[in-house]
Amino acid sequence: MARIIGGIGTSHVPTIGMAFDKGKQDDPDWKPLFKGYEPIAKWLAEKKPDVLFFCFNDHATTFFFDHYPTFALGVSDEYRIADEGLGVRNVPPLKGHAALARHVAASLVADEFDIAVFQDLALDHGLHSPLTMMWPKSPDWPGRVIPLHVNVLQHPVPTPRRCYKLGKAIGKAIASYPEDLKVAMVGTGGLSHQMIGERAGFNDEEWDREFLELIERDPERLAAMTVEDFTRRGGNEGAEVIMWLIMRGAIAPNARKRHQNYYLPMTTAMAVALFE
Amino acid sequence: MSKYVFDLERSARGLRLNRFLHGLIAKESRALFLGNPEEAMKGLTEAEKDMVRRLDWKAMQDYGASFFCLEKLARTKGVSNPQMVAAFRGETLEQFLKTRRVPGAR
Repeated sequence: MARIIGGIGTSHVPTIGMAFDKGKQDDPDWKPLFKGYEPIAKWLAEKKPDVLFFCFNDHATTFFFDHYPTFALGVSDEYRIADEGLGVRNVPPLKGHAALARHVAASLVADEFDIAVFQDLALDHGLHSPLTMMWPKSPDWPGRVIPLHVNVLQHPVPTPRRCYKLGKAIGKAIASYPEDLKVAMVGTGGLSHQMIGERAGFNDEEWDREFLELIERDPERLAAMTVEDFTRRGGNEGAEVIMWLIMRGAIAPNARKRHQNYYLPMTTAMAVALFE
Repeated sequence: MSKYVFDLERSARGLRLNRFLHGLIAKESRALFLGNPEEAMKGLTEAEKDMVRRLDWKAMQDYGASFFCLEKLARTKGVSNPQMVAAFRGETLEQFLKTRRVPGAR
């Protein structure tokens, strides 16, 4: 049977991918970020999960507001890298796990989560800016991904409770897949930041630290909050951390945080954490 | 909730402008816009064209542009996110960077 070996929470700021592509690993402005991902990369290299299940959001790249899905699951064997205005990043196409993804889609719908599905679409930095920090891209990706897009851009967005419940349903779906596979969950986004309005540039490190505690010890309390609460505490765009709740819902309730890094250089608090 | 929250009303208001901005993910659209902006913008209203010509980030935001669609125009024109954020705050980039912990991380 497939099993979930742990979870990763990570920011997906586009500059993470840009810093990686420009080789800024030893640049003093970026080193604290890269150092923070080393234990994650090491864990993945040791545990060798077959699949990373990525809960992320598209940034009005693959999907546009003429039809912007609330939850959309990728069910292909391959995903191209999207051009977001700067050309395509020099990373290989992502390998998908269509068979497991189809099983998850069927299981979720049976569980009353009527998700959308997509095939053969290009994916943006929401997924691959953190991915290149954790997984070697050459000679080719060491495993497969399953992308789950979540609408955190256009309100109404799903409630934190819905995300947490969806995570539990995904956990159940993966655990009922007959093949022996190791799956790691990844929840992306945040932490605090706001890109728009007079409050653009807003951060709250105190809230970020509290969130990093609660996501481990008391996700139920986060699930009980509203999106408005998340927006007030973490900024308009920072509310996207509700996607960490999908990851948290899918992994073991008693999972413990094994590693955490926090870096707030510019507009977005960049965090990464490992749960096992 | 902030008046800038991108809801369905704002999305409907900004749809035409956002569709143009979103289109810049195609290399051909960027080339056309950089070489012949008026031709590239012909589907927009005069007021929308004016905001795009002036790269008036705040005006486009106030009008209904999604930040994530504005990013496509910014990348096409070589403008960074900190520059856009500074514009929303009514500051210069230099003023904004003074408020940051690691101004070089961009």
